[in-house]
Amino acid sequence: MLEVRNLVKEFSGERTVVAIDGVSFEVRDDEFLCIVGPSGCGKSTLLRIIAGIEKWNRGEVLFHGKPIEGPNEKIMMIFQHFGLLPWKTALENVQLPLEVHGIDRQEARKIALEYLQKVGLSEFADTYPHDLSGGMKQRVGIARALAMRPEILLMDEPFSSLDELTASTLRREVLRIWADPKLSTKTFIMVSHNVSEAVFMADRVLVMSPRPGKIVEEVEVDIPRPRVEHTRDPRFFDIVDHIISVIEAACAASARACENLLVKSC
Amino acid sequence: MPRTQNFGYAFGFLAILLIYVLVLSLVKNPEIGNLPYYTFRTFARITATYIISLVTGLFFGLLAATYKTASTILVPLFDVLQSIPILGYFPAAIIFFISAFQGAEIGLELAAMLLLYTSMEWAIFFGIIGAVKNIPANIVEAAKSFNLEGLSYIRHVVLPAIVPALISGSTLAWGDGWFFMIAAEYITYGGVTYSLPGLGSYLAKAAYEYGDMNLAVVLLVIITALVMYINFLTWHRLTEKAGSGAYKPIFASTWSRRFALSGVRRLAPVRRIGMSFRFRHSVLSVSKKRMYTKIEKGVALMALIFLVLVVVMLAQPNVPSGDEIVRSLTIPEMANLPFYTLATLARLTIAYFVSLAIALTMGILAAERKGFALVFYPIYDIGQSVPILALFPILFISISQVFGGRLGLEITSITMLVADMIWYLFLNIVAAVKTIPDEIREVSQLLGMKGLKRIRHIILPAIMPAVVTGSMLSWATGWNTVIFSEYMPYGSEVLSLPGLGSFLDKAAYQEGNTVLLGFLLLVMTCLVIAVDRFVWRKLLRKIERYGAEVM
Repeated sequence: MLEVRNLVKEFSGERTVVAIDGVSFEVRDDEFLCIVGPSGCGKSTLLRIIAGIEKWNRGEVLFHGKPIEGPNEKIMMIFQHFGLLPWKTALENVQLPLEVHGIDRQEARKIALEYLQKVGLSEFADTYPHDLSGGMKQRVGIARALAMRPEILLMDEPFSSLDELTASTLRREVLRIWADPKLSTKTFIMVSHNVSEAVFMADRVLVMSPRPGKIVEEVEVDIPRPRVEHTRDPRFFDIVDHIISVIEAACAASARACENLLVKSC
Repeated sequence: MPRTQNFGYAFGFLAILLIYVLVLSLVKNPEIGNLPYYTFRTFARITATYIISLVTGLFFGLLAATYKTASTILVPLFDVLQSIPILGYFPAAIIFFISAFQGAEIGLELAAMLLLYTSMEWAIFFGIIGAVKNIPANIVEAAKSFNLEGLSYIRHVVLPAIVPALISGSTLAWGDGWFFMIAAEYITYGGVTYSLPGLGSYLAKAAYEYGDMNLAVVLLVIITALVMYINFLTWHRLTEKAGSGAYKPIFASTWSRRFALSGVRRLAPVRRIGMSFRFRHSVLSVSKKRMYTKIEKGVALMALIFLVLVVVMLAQPNVPSGDEIVRSLTIPEMANLPFYTLATLARLTIAYFVSLAIALTMGILAAERKGFALVFYPIYDIGQSVPILALFPILFISISQVFGGRLGLEITSITMLVADMIWYLFLNIVAAVKTIPDEIREVSQLLGMKGLKRIRHIILPAIMPAVVTGSMLSWATGWNTVIFSEYMPYGSEVLSLPGLGSFLDKAAYQEGNTVLLGFLLLVMTCLVIAVDRFVWRKLLRKIERYGAEVM
């Protein structure tokens, strides 16, 4: 459903930096795809390009065979720092995008409440983000994105600003939502620098090298779901170790230290 | 880069030199030969006052920052002091200094410096307080764990942390000094004009005594050029230097990405831009908003009343008896007091809304088109440097050609108010627009918000705290300027509009009625505080509901 072909992104400044260098991949229907790589490999930029909020220099990004030309209501995103509007309550935050897209207020409110309930936050509908915990904020972010009924959900390091316990709960919840047959959103693309997290969640992991960002490896994760039961399996550790060694090799090749490579278990 | 910069400094110096040579040789005015001397005197006056402000600001600021007891008294006291119309107290100060030195120039000089001081001190003091409050809790804890205490704590933690605030506070203070220069150098009291040698008094004389508008404009241009050049030479360079570290200047010439999400808040936690959302999710809110307890407010108010009483007593060697007070206050014009109050309030309100409309438009333009923001800084720089009080004769002549009589005068008065009030709003709003986090911008982009929807749901709420802080300050400064904008010497006559400001001026300058002066000041101060409490504080509380923070 989504195809990226020979994508090149450069940041021009005093020195031109090639952030993404000829990246190609395809996203299958109903897939949970994860892109991992060290800081500064251009993975977040890649996600923003798909979301239609960042321009690129060369190559093609096709959604259902048509080039992406800007933000698309069928592709929604959740952010590392949640991106909630501080001046709106949880409910209003979910409701606003619906209204912007022409749904009338009453109907938008109904849908917003429904999705807040799906993420377990109906009691906090009238609370401002300021008074919500990090995990709750990200739940609002997820509800806001899903309420738009997109086909693709993009997630930019969605758990990296949460504490590990909250993150772990939320990971399982996201997987539950992804598997929910009643939801119209079936395709998830997540960017992460946490390798175990990627292996825990994804069907397929794309590994990116640091600047210039290239895809150096594609790993199919064939561990059966639910994976909570398999996080101690040797297979799990083999895949994690393999991906880490690929990243380390890529880092060594570009003579840069690998920073922030978290190897936490889920 | 440095080479072109040095070239710029040299070029600027030569340009100013050339202006002086041209003016000295071309302008025909008996006093023109004194221009370099006047420049020197004004420059020395402002510099000396600035140094005093800096030293006392540092002293009180550090005192309030390190000792809790000092802070509970000093901060509310300074807050009340800075929100009352300083110019209104000026006559009382002059009466005191003139009588104390029997009209000698030194007395006038001290009075002028006191006026300048009262306009320069606040930015520095509150800048320091704000910066100390914004030292991240982890740094304070780290310092404690290494046993940094007392002087070594101040030296290694506090001083480095307040450098950016000192620089931006100094920039504002310096600008304010030049702003009030004319008022300080050229004073009419009880029908007599006192003037101190300086650029401000020369400008006033050119306009009022010689009636030479060309000379007034030339002097205005010289002053503006001089202020800008000095700014570039000093504050801009310092700001850039301070900005190279962890702190960023408010108007960094590049729009740095991710800037708003970085842990350290922007430079210049000065009163003028002391408020912003804390978008960061982490629990940084150690510096809880500054709200005083009733007792603190009471103490501050008592201290203030005491101060005013002392000044009035000193100014009036013979304490007025009850009879005298009654006689001074029961003049026929007192019947007009409610009307005067309403007239002044109306003028200020109109000027405020005009300023707000312009500042909001510019702020939104800056938010939507990054290019605009880069243009706005120079506008601010020039606008802030022009001494507004000097604008009056020039403004009036041009406006009265379109609108005759009262109306022309009203428009001139309101224009002057706008010219003074708009900068606080403008500076606050543009700074707030710059700190809207990228993620918020991205969200609005992703959700396809454009045009009015984007302005209504994203830009306006994001800059709301800045609008409220800007409004508080612009309103306070408006009260200050209204005293001048309603009562303007023009040639040999005085043009005045009915209002509290002109009433106060008449009481002070024409009749020398100290009791009435004191009474009117009290009325004005009460009005300022009432508006602050019932309008601005209410708005602040509304915004705080969703987590915006007051410095």
